[in-house]
Amino acid sequence: MTDTVEIAVTINGRVHRLTVPPRRVLADVLREDLQLLGCKIGCDQAVCGACTVLVDGMPVTACTTFAFELDGRAVTTIEGLAAGGILDPVQRAFLEHSAFQCGFCTPGMILSVKALLARHPEPDERLIRQWLNANICRCTGYQMIVEAVRTTARMGSG
Amino acid sequence: MDGVASPFRTPVVALDGPDKVTGAARYTFDVSVPGMLHAKVLRSPYPHAGILSIDTVRAEALPGVVAAVTGADAARLPDPYYGVAIRDQPVVAIDKVRYVGDVVAAVAAIDEETAYRALALIDVQYEKLPAVMTIEAALADGAPVLFDTPVAGEPVKLGGGLISLKEPRPNVLCEFGYTHGDADAVLARSDHIFEDCFHFSRINHFHLEPHVNIARVTGELIELWSCNQDPFVLRSDIARIFGRPANNIRIHASYVGGGFGGKSFCKMEPLVVLLAMKAGRPVRLCLSLDESLLTLTKHAGILVLKTGVTKDGRLTARKSEIQLDGGAYSDASALTVVKTGYRITGPYRWDAVATRAYAVRTNTVPAGSFRGFGGTQASFASESQIDMIARRLGIDPYDFRCKNLLALGEPFRLGDSGIDSDLAKGLDEVVERLGYRQRARSSAQGHKARGMGLGIGIKDGGGTGNHAQALVKLLPSGRAIVSAAAVEIGQGATTTLSRIAAETLNLPLDWVRYGAIDTDSTPLDNGTHASCGTVVTGIAVMRAAADSRAQVLEFAAERLGCTAAELALDNWTVRRGNFAHPLEPMIAEHYGGAGFEFIGRGMVKVPNDPKAPLTAPALFWMPNWVGAEVEVDRETGKVQVVHLVVGADSGRSVNAVACRGQVEGAALQAFGQSLFEELRYDGVAPSNATPLTYRVPLAGDLPHCYEVVRPRAGRPRPVRLGNPARHPGHASRIQGYLTSNSMPGYVRTTPQDYPQ
Repeated sequence: MTDTVEIAVTINGRVHRLTVPPRRVLADVLREDLQLLGCKIGCDQAVCGACTVLVDGMPVTACTTFAFELDGRAVTTIEGLAAGGILDPVQRAFLEHSAFQCGFCTPGMILSVKALLARHPEPDERLIRQWLNANICRCTGYQMIVEAVRTTARMGSG
Repeated sequence: MDGVASPFRTPVVALDGPDKVTGAARYTFDVSVPGMLHAKVLRSPYPHAGILSIDTVRAEALPGVVAAVTGADAARLPDPYYGVAIRDQPVVAIDKVRYVGDVVAAVAAIDEETAYRALALIDVQYEKLPAVMTIEAALADGAPVLFDTPVAGEPVKLGGGLISLKEPRPNVLCEFGYTHGDADAVLARSDHIFEDCFHFSRINHFHLEPHVNIARVTGELIELWSCNQDPFVLRSDIARIFGRPANNIRIHASYVGGGFGGKSFCKMEPLVVLLAMKAGRPVRLCLSLDESLLTLTKHAGILVLKTGVTKDGRLTARKSEIQLDGGAYSDASALTVVKTGYRITGPYRWDAVATRAYAVRTNTVPAGSFRGFGGTQASFASESQIDMIARRLGIDPYDFRCKNLLALGEPFRLGDSGIDSDLAKGLDEVVERLGYRQRARSSAQGHKARGMGLGIGIKDGGGTGNHAQALVKLLPSGRAIVSAAAVEIGQGATTTLSRIAAETLNLPLDWVRYGAIDTDSTPLDNGTHASCGTVVTGIAVMRAAADSRAQVLEFAAERLGCTAAELALDNWTVRRGNFAHPLEPMIAEHYGGAGFEFIGRGMVKVPNDPKAPLTAPALFWMPNWVGAEVEVDRETGKVQVVHLVVGADSGRSVNAVACRGQVEGAALQAFGQSLFEELRYDGVAPSNATPLTYRVPLAGDLPHCYEVVRPRAGRPRPVRLGNPARHPGHASRIQGYLTSNSMPGYVRTTPQDYPQ
């Protein structure tokens, strides 16, 4: 077994050449190596969704994704969403609807919604709720989050 | 969502919002200190056992391991025990373990992986002891006892005539007693007496940010970066445990990633300090979510209520016997028992009341504060029985409640403050939204049956005789820093407290920043709990802002050669008649250099009253109303909430959107517990203490129709706020008891309370 793996991964638009142990997970690379602390780890076993990031546009749980799997792929974290300081429409909708409380689940939730709207620009209520099943929020009761998703979808700018 | 109009003029903007939607928000989870080690904890596999020996030699020899601590290290501390009022939980198990998950040893190493590996090298010899896993088993004759000798601490202080006992019997941690009138005599005269027993389940807080602490010990100074909700309570605990003066303890708080009571009071913090001392380096301990499930729960309980009613449906007397499962250690059981016992009467009028409530020790995860602090347990049993009695007497549960509800202004109990919300009006609004009167309360179609149910809860808000201090610093530019110890846990304290200061100072909200919390410089409070953030801390902030404003006006009056009374402050400009004088140049001219800060101080102490049962009347009441329509599949047993209406009277909200968020979030927690959420014990260990198997509500569980109302049920009243209570309604005919909850971060106020 090799001790380390060389990978080239695009993170928030910038290519990083990294040397990682095979067991190292994406969440640790983001948080510890790159100081992208917006990726939160809640359950550490792909249940709560707090660590959700986008890999080639698809939501994945960074806590259970090996870094070596990302060679040649593009990762978007919450830090990469607001281009040039302009908030993404999903971020704006979360702000406007107060779709957060403690905020620990929020980065993962926003990225998850981003992926939803990319695939389904006009999700119905059922689909929104189903999709959000992947992200636990213990504070809000989800209603304001669902409203934020509806608003973004209506604006057609997910 | 229209409550009473806000007293404030400026629109509310969540000040923590931009940080939270961009990932910039920093939690204790994100804190890193140079040179820090990482710790992991070895936990007991047995519910009850003596520790014969612990050998950490092999663990300590593992490369990368810096220190290991065991009960032997804890035993050498000046006071190794913690807990609220009654202190029986050791920093690390000393001689004995009392539940599966109890802390037996801890290791600090260069990384978490090494610390984990080291745990496997620790050799512990146990002598297994018989365990008591349930309340019944713990109270049985000859049951094994968790503690052989009395533990440290005192019973909770209560008003005259009430009973508060510490360790009155084996395996009983504490006892609460309240009587008013002669309940036996009144029951004997009642037309009907109903006795019912209710079992309340055990749940976990499941805050997504785990318990996480970083400790650094430098000379005499102990520093902690803690996710704790109560920085100053923690400071006292650490000072006592380590025998250091409190000015040598420094607690830093950050954003808290959810708590719900799970991060109230002392938890892992002293263990991390102990490790840092032994290692001679900073140490971070971040529990896993699995471990959080083994750290604290909400009290399970058995509640027996004996309630008398006249034949025309008037409640007469209630006798209650309440046993809460406190688990292995005290934590906040002593307080929870008081609140459950006191709130068991619900928002109703009684001729006589007799209540006994106990916390029972069992070999299970310790139980402590959880959103509403005993209120849910009480409301669940009380409201369930109200429904059952109504049904037995053939009275509509709505009518039955209305007939017995306390009126506006009527004291909750003799010596306590009057109910400050129109409870019947609030119930009416929920009933209206639900369509309770328009349709049959129950119906069936094929194998699916529907039913509607109502519930009311009430909680004394703001803590008992609570107090807080605050500072407002006004910079030369007119920008302000609000300094108070209410931590931002998602309730909106940052925004709410800043808004109070901004309004008092006539400044734009975004000119105010909520300062970092550091016990070295932040003024003290009693902790971020008991729904006190807006009303208690809020008043302190308001007074601090008013004090700083008075200083500014004094300064300007002196410069302008007039009296302060002639001046008004508006957007950092002083107005005198038709003339406006900008403050910034005036300050620059007089002080030069870096300018000057006007530092206002404010404090509040809710007066004690020896006649009040809990030593001080409730500062305000937090009523909740719930209405639910539920569908049950009689073939599969599947329960679906079709329509859920929850209401709470938040008075005049300082932060209305935060109020709505609190109601919705709290109600969904109660919804989960009503329908499926439970930390289950099958045998000696919880059978589902993992994130995957411990099932919390998901977005897909939301009721089809979920409405929140904030009825205009109150009357103008002094500044108050609310925090979370959880109080149940009961959806007819199902096991589901929908528990509404309530809200941190709202203020009720009359405009005259605010400086104009």
